[in-house]
Amino acid sequence: MSGAGGNAPGSEQAAYTGRLTRRSFLRGGLGAAGGLAALAASLNPLRELDTSELTVEKFLQKHYKEMTADEMEGVLARIRTEVEQRYAVRPELRDIKAMDGVEFAYALHLGRCIGCRRCVHACVAENNQSRSPEIQYIRVLEMPRGSVDIERGNHHYDRPTVPDAGHYYMPIQCHQCANPPCVKVCPVEATWQEPDGITVIDYDWCIGCRYCEAACPYWARRFNFTSPQIPNEQLNPNMSYLSNRPRRQGVMEKCHFCLHRTREGRMPACLEVCPVGARKFGNLLDPDSEVAQILRTKHVFVLKQDVGTLPRFFYYFDEDYPRSHAGISLPVLQPHDVGGTR
Amino acid sequence: MPSKRSQAAPTRHGQPARPLTGWFVGPIFLALALWFGIGPQGLALPASTPTSVDRSVLTTAPRRTALSDPPTVRIDGFDRTCMSCHRMFPPREVPASKLLQHRHIALAHGINDRCHNCHHDDDRDLLVLRDESTISFGRVVELCAQCHGPTYRDWQRGAHGRTNGYWDAHYGEVRRLGCTECHDPHQPRVPAMDPLAPLPGPQALRAPAYDVHDDHIFITRDPLRRQALRGHVETIAPSPAANSAPVEVFDEEEE
Repeated sequence: MSGAGGNAPGSEQAAYTGRLTRRSFLRGGLGAAGGLAALAASLNPLRELDTSELTVEKFLQKHYKEMTADEMEGVLARIRTEVEQRYAVRPELRDIKAMDGVEFAYALHLGRCIGCRRCVHACVAENNQSRSPEIQYIRVLEMPRGSVDIERGNHHYDRPTVPDAGHYYMPIQCHQCANPPCVKVCPVEATWQEPDGITVIDYDWCIGCRYCEAACPYWARRFNFTSPQIPNEQLNPNMSYLSNRPRRQGVMEKCHFCLHRTREGRMPACLEVCPVGARKFGNLLDPDSEVAQILRTKHVFVLKQDVGTLPRFFYYFDEDYPRSHAGISLPVLQPHDVGGTR
Repeated sequence: MPSKRSQAAPTRHGQPARPLTGWFVGPIFLALALWFGIGPQGLALPASTPTSVDRSVLTTAPRRTALSDPPTVRIDGFDRTCMSCHRMFPPREVPASKLLQHRHIALAHGINDRCHNCHHDDDRDLLVLRDESTISFGRVVELCAQCHGPTYRDWQRGAHGRTNGYWDAHYGEVRRLGCTECHDPHQPRVPAMDPLAPLPGPQALRAPAYDVHDDHIFITRDPLRRQALRGHVETIAPSPAANSAPVEVFDEEEE
């Protein structure tokens, strides 16, 4: 660019003998400048790359299952520092392993749910989901009575009060399938099923290909299209590596039955906030647990049974007995009704 | 670049009007560069108001506060029990219409329309069972269980009612809420729970798009198709079952 223009006059002959004419210089220079500028522009997004997050130890971090206890401690310490820098909150980050002899299951009483969405927002508050753009694990469908066609469900309902007489409500979240299609399609094994039945994601191993999102028949997985936004004061400092630690842009996330709570014996956040007691949680392997008794004694069904995912999330409802004293009649129960169906 | 052109050029030797190849490439690149450089930075996502929910709404407390055992009321700084007053009055059955006190209690409990079916005649700090034995207010579940057998059975199994705390008593307190922590014993409702205002709905893009005012009009969930179908919404006739409002959700499906 610093050349002082064509020093030869613009004779036709000059161009063909390789000499630099004004015309060829301008043509070549313009093309070269344009190409360089386009190259620079195409690399422009690199300016937005946050290299502060790109460290050697992060790059060399192993898969969750391959890490030794010491390595995990180092990773946890690093994540604690990162979270503290970003949110100004010192998290209680742990890596909680599955308990022995425990297989978690969830049961939801469809006749009870009133669709108040308390569970949805308790989940967001507990699990540090992005507030903007919005990520929610639980979807509450408002369904017309007399239909179980979830295509007719509406999760944008906006009524002054719920429940509505013509509808019932069906919350859907990750079903923690025993035969999970999302795990099968993951090309990097960033998601897997734990011994207690919870399908988890290693957020540091996920490459964000979203195959699992496409594979899930329950629309339970969410993708962080942008960097999740969480107000500092709303960050839940009780975290674990596989559950609710803050995610980054470009990774999947989903319900994990609040494993940082449930693996310590506590109930999931969505259950505790449910005002009507529609949600039940417990250990399937313990015959005296609430879910085990519900599965034995109530009318239970799973969603999309035909796809063969074997969910650990069950919907149940009461057997038909009179609830009103209008025209008193004793319940006429057949023996097979009383025994419950499964 | 000049050398390359100089090799190709002899074929066009002598042409006065040369094709403009190359001349427009540069300006296009420059315009693109200008656009990328000073144009919009990144992809502008549709702005959405984040539905940040006040944590105080997300209470895990019971919806009702059950009476203490025995029930107390604070009058002039002193805790009074029922018997503080009732020991002065002879026990008698007064029809609700003639009550001078407790007028705010509207008894709407089906055919169970006598106070003393549950409240003890002489000792108002106690409740009475059908066999005339007395129990305290803390054991009100046993009183309800006399009539509501199937519900009591479900409650014992954990299928009915709320359980908070821990999912196994081995790890901590399993707090199973009693009848009166959700239901008003004087007016249990059908359906039993009071309506609530729902918290804000999701603002996700990929969702079935319903007309919120009419559930039977819905548009396809694919946003592109929705755009194409604008003005041609499908209408689904309401199913006959949707009109009746049975208490039980799955009456129709049960065999």
